[in-house]
Amino acid sequence: MYNENLINNSSFKNYRLDRLKEYNKLQLPEWKRIRLKDFQIPEYKEYNNLQIPIEEKLDIRDIKEIREDINEFTKYLRVDEEFGVDKKFVTLTETFYNTGVIVKADRNKIVKDPIRLDFHMDEKNPIVLDHNLIIAEENSELTIVMDYTSDIKAFHSGVTKVYAKDNSNVTIVKLQRMESESNDFDSNIAFVGRDAKVNWISIELGSKITSSSFITNLKEDNSEADLKSIYFGDKEMGIDLQYTMNHYGRRSLSNIETKGALKDKSKKVFRGNLDFKKGSTRSKGEEEEYVLLLDKTVKSDAIPALICGEDDVEGEHAASAGQINSLKLFYLMSRGMSEKEAKKMIVEASFRPIIDEIPYEDLREKVQENIHGRLIDGEA
Amino acid sequence: MSKKLLDIKNLHSRVEEAEILKGLNLQINKGEIHIIMGPNGAGKSTLANVLMGHPKHEITDGEIIFNDENINDLEVNKRAKEGLFLSFQYPEEIPGVTVENFLRTAKSSITEEKQGIFAFRKILKEKMELLEMDESYATRYLNQGFSGGEKKKNEILQMAVLEPKLAILDETDSGLDIDAIRIVSKGVKTYSSDDNAILVITHYNKILDYLEPDFVHILVDGKIVKTGGVELAHEIEEKGYEEFKRELS
Repeated sequence: MYNENLINNSSFKNYRLDRLKEYNKLQLPEWKRIRLKDFQIPEYKEYNNLQIPIEEKLDIRDIKEIREDINEFTKYLRVDEEFGVDKKFVTLTETFYNTGVIVKADRNKIVKDPIRLDFHMDEKNPIVLDHNLIIAEENSELTIVMDYTSDIKAFHSGVTKVYAKDNSNVTIVKLQRMESESNDFDSNIAFVGRDAKVNWISIELGSKITSSSFITNLKEDNSEADLKSIYFGDKEMGIDLQYTMNHYGRRSLSNIETKGALKDKSKKVFRGNLDFKKGSTRSKGEEEEYVLLLDKTVKSDAIPALICGEDDVEGEHAASAGQINSLKLFYLMSRGMSEKEAKKMIVEASFRPIIDEIPYEDLREKVQENIHGRLIDGEA
Repeated sequence: MSKKLLDIKNLHSRVEEAEILKGLNLQINKGEIHIIMGPNGAGKSTLANVLMGHPKHEITDGEIIFNDENINDLEVNKRAKEGLFLSFQYPEEIPGVTVENFLRTAKSSITEEKQGIFAFRKILKEKMELLEMDESYATRYLNQGFSGGEKKKNEILQMAVLEPKLAILDETDSGLDIDAIRIVSKGVKTYSSDDNAILVITHYNKILDYLEPDFVHILVDGKIVKTGGVELAHEIEEKGYEEFKRELS
């Protein structure tokens, strides 16, 4: 059971006991929009599959291995604002995490090679409650790739907190390729310093229910963030995406670019928020979501929002959903491709620029194969 | 073996509520180059689109016989496999797909044989040289950011690679400067053989200087009203279409 006994004799105890109080007050959500109802959190299990990579220029630790109760990282774990897909899932992971990393790049450390974390779930390790903390000190640079996979019905509830200090550059690539009956909840938050940049890349392919939230706080002058994502839904999948860019600093910049495709009876809700807080003068934010509807039975909602607490800002948003343009299809078919092949080509082409951002060839190939296989699946 | 490639009999077509083709007849044999000329709105591009199977055009009467087979209801990609090719007046842009990848996929679909990367690259390079296209085109996204002339050249490149039996060129010469017309015409002539045929739809006479057609047809108000040789095109150049329009009214 998820209670105090799981926390005793471990790190960050006071923090976790505080989170436990919150956790106990909360109920699990029901989301009709993506068919989440009567959900039960599966029984707690240890997770022992994560290999902690070694990179001499970085301080990388297993969050479970930290022994002191209060240490230099505690203040970073405590986030005052509400964030994530849902408070219950966030506090679940903050309190009971069974895996996760703390990665710190010291001042002026530039690490070009990405750090790769494979969160694979299997019979013995069917749940991942990963709590990750990424700290990039001034003028540092790092890239982290987190790949969530499973070969069984699995459960993932993750929390990732990113602190990109002044003039740093942090890239976080998240891939979710879990088995098709799985449940995935992923909450991310970043704090971006002066002249610093955070790049998010999110690839959502698996699970029956997948919900992800990325909140970026552009705290200082010239803070910048990019979020690029793709999703592919088929069968009865429910996909819930929530992306928020909070502009605080002057001349802060944000950009959200999302491409998706929906097939069969899949459902998707996209919420993109550009929030210009008072004082964020001359800031600029853009968001764009484009989804290809491959069947009439899919359901796709897009709710882009622009909130301006400041006059002198520029915000642009666009969301569009379409069946594949019949003239494009005619053009491709006139060159010999079947309708299925032509649609496949158009979907794959629209995803390609974002797939190309994944810094590993094997992962790019797996993502392409995944999409390719599901696009031709069910061909008459 | 029969030389007959295309036989259009009494073709009527409709787009939305408007009837465009109103009883068109045309025969094309292997080894021939045909030109169709006509005023704006006569139905020239419609004929090209109906032959290829455009989804918005509906055949309401008549027959299209291609390779001794009625293709009225044949799917677009199957027409392509039968050997029909349309050079589009306004080719679509396909971002994310390179010219090379696109053509290799198309060639594999049409021939139903997987095209090896290196062997295909060699063919592509050869055809691009013929059309005086820079090699870098192969890696650009299909038609994205192409100028009007580049798009038309790219259509001819596709024809050269896919080697259809009947190539329909819809206004391929429009918007091209003299040099581009010369290069495109060279590409068309090189491709032209005793085994295939070309149907050129055009407004202008310029392309005739290079192509030496066997037949010139005048299309007015959904029908072919006169067929002749090159001299017919010169007559049009002098007098316009007024005479043909008057004859109809």
